[in-house]
Amino acid sequence: MADNEETETGLCLEESTKPEETPDLFAPEAGAKNLETVISSDNHTIPGSEAPSSSLAKDKTKVDILLKATANAPIMKKKKWAVSQDQHIGWISEFIKRYLKLDANERLFLYINQTFAPPPDQTVRNLYDCYGTDGKLIIHYCKSQAWG
Amino acid sequence: MANDREVLREIWEGKIPVCFQLDSEEVCELQAPDPFYLMVSRLSYFPLCTDKVRKHFMRHIQLDKQENEMWLEFNGIPLKWHLPIGVLFDIYSNDIQLPWNIVVHFDKFPENVIMHCHNKEVVEAHFLACIKEADVLKHRGQLVSSMQKKDHNQLWLGLLNDKFDQFWAVNRRLMEASNNDEGFKYIPFRCYTNEDKYIQKLVKPVSEEGQRKTLKHLLNEVFPDKEKVQVQTHGIMPPLETPLQWLSEHLSYPDNFLHLCLNTS
Repeated sequence: MADNEETETGLCLEESTKPEETPDLFAPEAGAKNLETVISSDNHTIPGSEAPSSSLAKDKTKVDILLKATANAPIMKKKKWAVSQDQHIGWISEFIKRYLKLDANERLFLYINQTFAPPPDQTVRNLYDCYGTDGKLIIHYCKSQAWG
Repeated sequence: MANDREVLREIWEGKIPVCFQLDSEEVCELQAPDPFYLMVSRLSYFPLCTDKVRKHFMRHIQLDKQENEMWLEFNGIPLKWHLPIGVLFDIYSNDIQLPWNIVVHFDKFPENVIMHCHNKEVVEAHFLACIKEADVLKHRGQLVSSMQKKDHNQLWLGLLNDKFDQFWAVNRRLMEASNNDEGFKYIPFRCYTNEDKYIQKLVKPVSEEGQRKTLKHLLNEVFPDKEKVQVQTHGIMPPLETPLQWLSEHLSYPDNFLHLCLNTS
């Protein structure tokens, strides 16, 4: 829960180098399809894909998001992810649910600034532009309504 | 603000004539049911004003579909219920003739396109979340969090029951600038570039030199590469020299955001 989370890699790099750690992400579902899109677009932006993680972080098409658990929600082992700016908040929610292996009918609430729940069609880019701090966007997640 | 109450009234009373028709494939009888006509408030949300539509078409569809969630479509596109009706209308206005023809469905819910809305509480939660976000932009969230639950209720019930005075008795507090010279910290707005994309940024109502900014300034900041950008909201194109702070106080939707649709015609 503290701020000493891992900061090394982005979603895509980890996916391509250590796929065995997050096998559930490859589930044949709508979100997984999106994930592949992210990976392939990454391959386009970094030809050769030999780039170290530090250059990934500087990839202008991605934003670092930090996912923090609140109240009764389980903590994610990896909290910091690099996500395409065009990704929707609804997709992030589905991603967390899959990562935490929640049931499809379990609800997950995401909050910005520990204040409000962004609409699911809001993009990471807009949220980062408005509420990003220190080069990243902090999103709290919770299994019940935390901040009304 | 008080002098411009008439503007708030005009905005509140904006209505759109809609003709709802049941999708022909879902009709379970020989003859299609009559269309259902409604005047809907631009500021409302479809789930808040379509109970009668549902009731009208329910007995004309297959029995096993009658409990399904109803959803709406225009021109082959599922309509997002979480946008105010006036925003949807402005987004699609180039293709719309009045009355606005909307197709009603009970089958094949487009899971990946629109959110579920099983009851009005879902709309309420979304509506209040928007108001909170807008207050984070305007007043760092301090006003809305200092309000009581009954104030939040009053905002919601004012919208739900179309009670202008009830709504504005509370909303006027949210629309007060914390500092008269400077206005809000940031202007809450969403600028729609097409049907499923919008831009939201931090834009202040005054420049660094302390000058009042206008709609033109906002559009320059949102579209730095484009010239002669025009936007539509509430069915009108506000003049580019309209001061941003005034625009925000008077032409925001009840969710406290300005919803501006890029004019492509």
